[in-house]
Amino acid sequence: MEISPDAWVFYEWRGLSLNATIVFTWVVMALLVLGSWAVTARLSEGETVSRWQVALEVIVTTIRDQIAEVGADQPGRYLPFIGTLFLFIATANVLAVVPGYQPPTGSLSTTVALAVCVLVAVPLFSIGERGLGGYLRSYLQPTPLMLPFNIIGEASRTIALAVRLYGNVMSGTVIVGILISVAPFFFPVVMQVLGLLTGLIQAYIFAILAMVYIGSASRTRHKTENPSATNTGD
Amino acid sequence: MQIDWLTVVAQIVNFLVLVWLLQRFLYRPIITAMARREERIETRLSEAKAARAEVEAEAERLRDQQQALQSSREEMLREARQEAADLRARLEGDIREEMEARRKTWRTHLQDEQDDFANRLRQRVGHQVIDIVGRVLRDYAGSDLASEVAGTFTDRIAELDAKARDKLVDAASRAAAPARVDSSVALDPDARTRISRAIHDSIAPDIEVEYHEDNALILGVRLTVGEQTVEWSAARFLHRLETTLDEVIEGGSRPRSGRAPATG
Repeated sequence: MEISPDAWVFYEWRGLSLNATIVFTWVVMALLVLGSWAVTARLSEGETVSRWQVALEVIVTTIRDQIAEVGADQPGRYLPFIGTLFLFIATANVLAVVPGYQPPTGSLSTTVALAVCVLVAVPLFSIGERGLGGYLRSYLQPTPLMLPFNIIGEASRTIALAVRLYGNVMSGTVIVGILISVAPFFFPVVMQVLGLLTGLIQAYIFAILAMVYIGSASRTRHKTENPSATNTGD
Repeated sequence: MQIDWLTVVAQIVNFLVLVWLLQRFLYRPIITAMARREERIETRLSEAKAARAEVEAEAERLRDQQQALQSSREEMLREARQEAADLRARLEGDIREEMEARRKTWRTHLQDEQDDFANRLRQRVGHQVIDIVGRVLRDYAGSDLASEVAGTFTDRIAELDAKARDKLVDAASRAAAPARVDSSVALDPDARTRISRAIHDSIAPDIEVEYHEDNALILGVRLTVGEQTVEWSAARFLHRLETTLDEVIEGGSRPRSGRAPATG
């Protein structure tokens, strides 16, 4: 039994293997991009709007509102990154109901890649907001003694992100595989349905946590720049 | 649990490409469309607000205009009423004046007619009285009214006061025309002679005397020498008679006015 789609190789050329993870990622990407393009190519700015456009507007608006709820000043700034994280993971997980499909999020390589993106995005957004010096100073907060712990925290939360998503998705797939061998029909269906819910929740958790990490960097800036605001709140 | 680092790199690239593609095909178009729609709605809302404000301003202006029209209408009505009242008062005044003038004319006319009637009545009555008196004298006293008149006239000339006589003498000396004696009844030659003699004796010895009859005198004689005139007549008695007649005609309610009493 294959635990990771990485092991499912379609094509290999000079040591470079085209495995199921990459192929299904492309499938998900194609689905997302073509679906978006099909709708946004006929966008209406008037009063009558197509159902698909409404659906996309609802999705985009909801993601933006969620980002704003986490505390970002400019949700539009984070929307492409966080929104894509959510949409990619959610689509990849929901497609698990399709027979023969292996969710790329069930591969530790994918989740690590996404976690690395978050790991890089946090300092990038933070530096974009406050500059390199400001970002580096945040590692010395509240005291320089905390520097090693801050670095460990940065690394551990990235690992946690990657492993959480991988573990949830992979376990769902594995459990379904085991249940198919134990109980032929009923339980796997229930578990698939449960897997849909779990997949969406995981997508939400991953995206929100990424935003929380990015947002916490912004809030650090607010604390340092506007200490009176926090004092009055105490 | 294994990590294929090549796959990791590929997935990172895939993810970044997906971010770019979705930004290109999903987020930007959707957000732009929503922003434009919101902007359009905002524009239309503001246009609606502006139109509403305009309409309200227009309504306010119309209300003011209506109020102004109402007040001006009331003002015009008031002026028209005032003008009508003035015109009415003026017309009434005119009519009153005209009526007053007509009444005055009518009164004058009536007075004239009354005077004329009284005059004629006096004449007739006077003549009648004289006629009766003449008959009575002739039938019962054997005397003639003309001779009595001549006698009385000669007596009066003789009794003239010095001042009146001087005036007559003076007038006779300057007069080119003869002295004129008017009488109400025809004087016989004897009476004429007596009168001429009295004139010659008292006024001018050589003045020529002409005799005429004048019915207006009723009873009496009038001597005219140049511009001087001396008259003795029964006019005074007749005037009293006329007064009595007037009182009878008017029932005693209308006072006599503008009538100079005749001298006797």
